[in-house]
Amino acid sequence: MERADLSPREPSVQIADLAVHFAGRAALHGINLTLEAGQMTVVIGPSGSGKTTLLRAINRLNECFPNCRTVGTVRIRLDGRWVDAYRDFRPVAELRRRVGMVFQTPNVLPCSIEKNLSIPLIRVAGLSKSRLPGRIEWALREVELWDEVKDRLRHNALTLSGGQQQRLCLARALALKPQVLLLDEPTASLDFRATQKIERLLLKLRDRYTILAISHSLGQTRRLADRVIVLRDGRLAEQFDREHLEDAETFEALLEEIF
Amino acid sequence: MISTPRRSRSTLSGERWLRGLLLAATLVSTVAVFSILGFLVYFCLPLADPARLAAVASCTWQPFQGQFGILPMVVGSLSLAAGALVLAFPMGVGICCLAHGLAPRAVARALLVLIHFMASIPTVIYAFVSVFLLVPLMRQWFERGSGFSLLSAALTLAVLVLPTIVLLIHIRFEQIDPPLRLASAALGFSPAGELLWVILPLSGRGLAAAAVLGFGRAIGDTMISLMVAGNAPQFPTSMLDSIRTLTAQIALVVATDSQTPAYHSIFACGLILFLATGVVSLTIRRLRLPSRESLFHAKNA
Repeated sequence: MERADLSPREPSVQIADLAVHFAGRAALHGINLTLEAGQMTVVIGPSGSGKTTLLRAINRLNECFPNCRTVGTVRIRLDGRWVDAYRDFRPVAELRRRVGMVFQTPNVLPCSIEKNLSIPLIRVAGLSKSRLPGRIEWALREVELWDEVKDRLRHNALTLSGGQQQRLCLARALALKPQVLLLDEPTASLDFRATQKIERLLLKLRDRYTILAISHSLGQTRRLADRVIVLRDGRLAEQFDREHLEDAETFEALLEEIF
Repeated sequence: MISTPRRSRSTLSGERWLRGLLLAATLVSTVAVFSILGFLVYFCLPLADPARLAAVASCTWQPFQGQFGILPMVVGSLSLAAGALVLAFPMGVGICCLAHGLAPRAVARALLVLIHFMASIPTVIYAFVSVFLLVPLMRQWFERGSGFSLLSAALTLAVLVLPTIVLLIHIRFEQIDPPLRLASAALGFSPAGELLWVILPLSGRGLAAAAVLGFGRAIGDTMISLMVAGNAPQFPTSMLDSIRTLTAQIALVVATDSQTPAYHSIFACGLILFLATGVVSLTIRRLRLPSRESLFHAKNA
């Protein structure tokens, strides 16, 4: 099995004095944060507190929106070398390939399951056609989708169920061999069973990637997070480590204090 | 308990009036279209005679010698519309790509405002400007003929149909889910890569609809072909030849004649144009995009 090249418990992403403004209005300010390799950090906070903006600041996706201005630094350790996300990547395609993202609602391309994986692999990662089938199978096995779709790879991806589509989106990101994964409420639009399956997958992937995820479910946060950060009004309000999450009552009491 | 609000009698009668009014409008439109078709067919009935049909479906238009062939005009119309489309379609796709990611936002906005403005300029202005600017240039550059040619008309007509094509492709590009575009960007596609590998392949039928409608608009135009194409009733052998289109033929004959058999041949021209436009409309209807719902039904079938 191919593995991401990460040494656990080493810093993987360093965010310093990060501020993001949209049309002059601050969505995030004064964010200082370090993400460690092989850890899942879960961001929680009320709606509009800047959770999605924080995720999008790491892969520079905020730039796709008009009148966005970002200050501060986001440094990422890729293949053992620290690079500045905002200065060392021109164009940003390579950064976004190495920092995979999965969105709230599954957004598969309305073409075949195979093409959903092969188009980015060929066009973005420049993978040769001979290595394509192997990588596609590897990515689909990673998200436990291979057995379900191996006989219908040419079918339209929109014919998959919501949970399968979301796993395909995760496979699409993993196929590009990222080191950091950004998950923007990946189970928000899924039913209980599909959510369970994705959570199980994330627990499996947690040790091999640096994961920053958003969740609105406190139960899910407790099940998945190595660390929890709380955002409020675009600021980092609080951070919890694993030991704070063990006891449900204490964790909920802490959160009640914050919200 | 949930209670439904009772609708007052006046609301109900208002709705009935509205429905009646809409039905009347639909009937009038339908009757008008079928009346035009019936009218054209009725006036073309004398052509049911094989000798007359052969005279009209021939290659020579010399009315004083009794030859009323409209085939050169059919070929003229088709080659002019095709020429305009060949020029305008790639330009339209290019402009839409610029407006959807390749150009800075301010430039993209200005470009779309310009295209909207172009759509509102009367055809005669394009033709008029072309006669005084483009035609002399063509005469100078190619040193052949008068400059009133298939090429001059195709270039002018391309400018005319460009807004139609751009606006249709623009609408199709806009229909593509913004979240899908964001997901493509997150996968590492550059704006150009996103357009080339995600947006354009997903817009296939929209592009085809734009081309078909552009062709329909081009084949139906009268003013540009009348003023710029030269009006020589002949089969074009090069882009620099003068041509006469079906629309120009109708305009010219109606303006100068109302008695001779030549006058009656224009109904055949009208019928051909009407049918061509009908084919364009039907093709567009067949090009309707498969919706997400239909895929959903296919999945659950």
